[in-house]
Amino acid sequence: MAEARALNQPGLLWQNRKGFLSAHTVDITGGLLFLLLAIFIVWPVITVLVKGVFGPEGFTLEFFREFFTAYYYQSFLNTLLLGVLTTSVCITAGFCIAYMTTRGPRFLRIPLKGITLLPLIAPPYIFALSLIMLLGRSGFITKAFNLGWDIFGFPGCVIAQTLAFLPLAYLIIENTLSSLDPSLEDSAANLGASEGKILRSVTIPLLTPSFLKAILIVYVMAVAEFGNVAILCGRTPFLAPDIYTIVTGVEHDFNMAGVLSMFLVLPCVIIFMIQDYLIRGKGYVTVSGKPISAEPRHMTPHILIPMIVISFIACGLILLSFGVVGVGAFTKLVGIDNTFTLSHILDWRANEALINSLKVSLLAGLFGALLGVLIAYVVIRGKFRGRSALEGLYLAGFTLPGTVLGLGYLFAFNNPPLLLTGTMIILVINCLFRFAAVGMEAGITKLQQLSIEVEEASLNLGASTVTTFRRIVLPIIFPAAMYGFMYVFMTTMVSLSAVVFLTSPGSPLASVFIFQWAQYGYIGLASATVVKLVVIVGICLAIIQYMSKWTGLSITRRG
Amino acid sequence: MGDERKSMLVLDDIHKSFGEVQALRGVSTDVKEGELVTFLGPSGCGKTTLLRVISGLTKSDSGKIVLEGRVINDVTPDKRNVQLCFQSYALFPHLTVAGNIRYGLEVHKWKKERIKERVEELLHLVHLDGLGNRRIDELSGGQQQRVAVARALALEPKVLLLDELFSNLDANLRVQMRTTLHEIQRRVNITTIFVTHDQVEAMTISDRLIVMNQGIIEQVGAPIEIYEKPNNEFIASFIGYVNILKGEVKSTGKDTEPATVSTELGDLEILSSEKDIKAGREVYLIIRPETVYIGSLEEAIEVNKFKGTIKSIMYAGSTVKYVVDIEGRDLFIDQYDPTTLGIRSMGDKVVVTIPRNVHILKE
Ligand SMILES: Nc1ncnc2c1ncn2[C@@H]1O[C@H](COP(=O)(O)OP(=O)(O)O)[C@@H](O)[C@H]1O
Ligand SMILES: [Mg+2]
Repeated sequence: MAEARALNQPGLLWQNRKGFLSAHTVDITGGLLFLLLAIFIVWPVITVLVKGVFGPEGFTLEFFREFFTAYYYQSFLNTLLLGVLTTSVCITAGFCIAYMTTRGPRFLRIPLKGITLLPLIAPPYIFALSLIMLLGRSGFITKAFNLGWDIFGFPGCVIAQTLAFLPLAYLIIENTLSSLDPSLEDSAANLGASEGKILRSVTIPLLTPSFLKAILIVYVMAVAEFGNVAILCGRTPFLAPDIYTIVTGVEHDFNMAGVLSMFLVLPCVIIFMIQDYLIRGKGYVTVSGKPISAEPRHMTPHILIPMIVISFIACGLILLSFGVVGVGAFTKLVGIDNTFTLSHILDWRANEALINSLKVSLLAGLFGALLGVLIAYVVIRGKFRGRSALEGLYLAGFTLPGTVLGLGYLFAFNNPPLLLTGTMIILVINCLFRFAAVGMEAGITKLQQLSIEVEEASLNLGASTVTTFRRIVLPIIFPAAMYGFMYVFMTTMVSLSAVVFLTSPGSPLASVFIFQWAQYGYIGLASATVVKLVVIVGICLAIIQYMSKWTGLSITRRG
Repeated sequence: MGDERKSMLVLDDIHKSFGEVQALRGVSTDVKEGELVTFLGPSGCGKTTLLRVISGLTKSDSGKIVLEGRVINDVTPDKRNVQLCFQSYALFPHLTVAGNIRYGLEVHKWKKERIKERVEELLHLVHLDGLGNRRIDELSGGQQQRVAVARALALEPKVLLLDELFSNLDANLRVQMRTTLHEIQRRVNITTIFVTHDQVEAMTISDRLIVMNQGIIEQVGAPIEIYEKPNNEFIASFIGYVNILKGEVKSTGKDTEPATVSTELGDLEILSSEKDIKAGREVYLIIRPETVYIGSLEEAIEVNKFKGTIKSIMYAGSTVKYVVDIEGRDLFIDQYDPTTLGIRSMGDKVVVTIPRNVHILKE
């Protein structure tokens, strides 16, 4: 993703060469991509941010002054703190699980990994739903033990976010840990180091770049996340839900929304600026190489036990959440009337929303994948200046908080000639531009393996442009496009933060539908829709996996 | 061997399986104090596994490991006093050269000044003086490998285990490193077990060679002994490419008289020290390519001469490798010093002479 490509140098071999597209065509396409970028990412963001400093009477800092009144400022600080808490818990849990699945007993490896990755096919706010059902005001546990306490506020947000971002943190850390030569740890043991000493002096230092990467990404996501926080914040203010409230609520204060957006974007920008500095500047050793299935390590109890406990709690909570949402889908009114019902599952409004979601996601996936590989091709094969800026800006679109980009679309495309608000097109465009960067990164990785000589050779042998594309470029780029499609499709299916501003009441998306019912307390209906969503995403995933086997084209990004 | 030195390490019937794969199937041996022993065997024969078992990083399924008379099966790798140098070197990439060498000393809580002294001493020993502050990735392969050796020697282990130490180096450097290793090993006089799949390396480096195949020891002996008198076909062909001729003993010689064996080439006269050669027995004869003489003239010795045709020629600088077709069977022949002797051409009719003192396989 964003991080995978930091060190590549695109287009090195592309001076005065001819690929399947002429250099001229590539340049024109590049210009076109810049134009699209300007219209669909830069312009909306500017529109939002400008609102923060331009009132009815022109430029003003009045809104900023207002921001620093206790409430919104508090909300900003809360958001930063939430980021810190979620990141710490999430990285710790991610490391423990990654350690267990690469160094722990073999029989635990596959189950732990499978459960940890499970949240990838579910909407992130599945955890908000399940926490409400368990520990909300009338949750199973709250009622059963007559607790005078509920989960709203920081505890709920941290737990839900941790579980939602766990797959990401886990994958980043596991990727390095599984490529870390086990003989390093063996030789430390042979030299007399205890297991604790090995962790401190060998394993963790070598994982530092991965930790930094995971920390940055999880932090940015936690700060910007909308769904879980909006459902679980209770009376604690956080930025993302605040923006939503002041835009859609009675206040309708677009200027303050602009200021809040600025403060939401700010941490992300800062973090990504220091990322380069942190990772490149210190000369950390990066671990690279093929993943190896390491022998289980002999762990002393004071290491094994905390790791097992943390891994089991995290995986237990994930399973529990899925289970609870499953139960909630068939329960009349969780905590109040716990009788079985099929009415939630059979609700037609949800089905309509799901079909909308499917349409939007398929279209966004298709165009997102195309856009992704097109950018990749232009970035690798183009020779105009600003190629890396093109790539960087699309990546920025990917890391921007959804709330800001959603709001931006709402403001920017509300007038002719681009009057898109309220249409399904705006949803498709929003999602495809936000998520295309993943396909782009995959495409760049793939295209770097295809040297320009291969394309030239094909053209020299008399193949036409079309043939060269079909026979040479396509097989290389197809897996990347598939990967891009899958990512955009799956993310669009469950994404909430941006589209919540853009759906029209007449044709809601499933994710927005779930969010709204959850907010109004219709947990059963929300759960039932989540279940259907998970099933649909799961089935699509299975179909794609099957197809990729059947066509012999791998969609995994390795190799 | 009648070695008077005392035993340092005794392995007694070591077994180790990974699921279906039997990596070690009963390995027993006795390594003397200060000795350099080489385990030689093809890839996958269990060499690495054996070293890991000795160092304690892998637990054996059964068998005893005895170090200086003490059974150490249940001693953890950090307390065994046995250091393994990994094939990949396993140097810590985030530490400097000195940081790597120092690691074990720090773990064992040595005093700062002593650590410093010891590190200097080791750097000097492995010819890396002044490179202590280098990063590992700034070193060449040969230097990295010496850092690995220095790190392993730091704690003055009783036994040093070297896993395919030279396999990542290019050919020239290998030769140089062998000499260096030899010198270091003599200097510290440390009991060393070296494993390799390269027969030349094994021959040149060790006092004693242990040939392994598929998890068992096939033959133990001095390099020359193994080269000249391999126990079986596997060893014979593994040690160097050879001609193996199947034959039947026609008549045994009395005392110093030669025996006659009928082979695919025809009758061969051989002088053998083997006592149990009886008429009618099937034997395999090992004929090394460099012992066969190739000539076109009639020579003084009348025995063991065969007519053939040159089938292929490979020029390799100091030698020429011929394949000669004799009665439809290929015989490999190495001829040294082509500058003086000249090189033959394809299709030349030649007469080859097989020496009488060929080795006979026992089985
Ligand atoms: N950790 C392991 N798991 C499964 N099989 C192994 C493992 N280590 C070694 N083996 C198997 O044991 C045999 C011996 O391996 P090894 O000791 O590495 O051989 P060598 O070092 O001589 O090449 C091989 O067949 C190898 O595949
Ligand atoms: Mg090996």
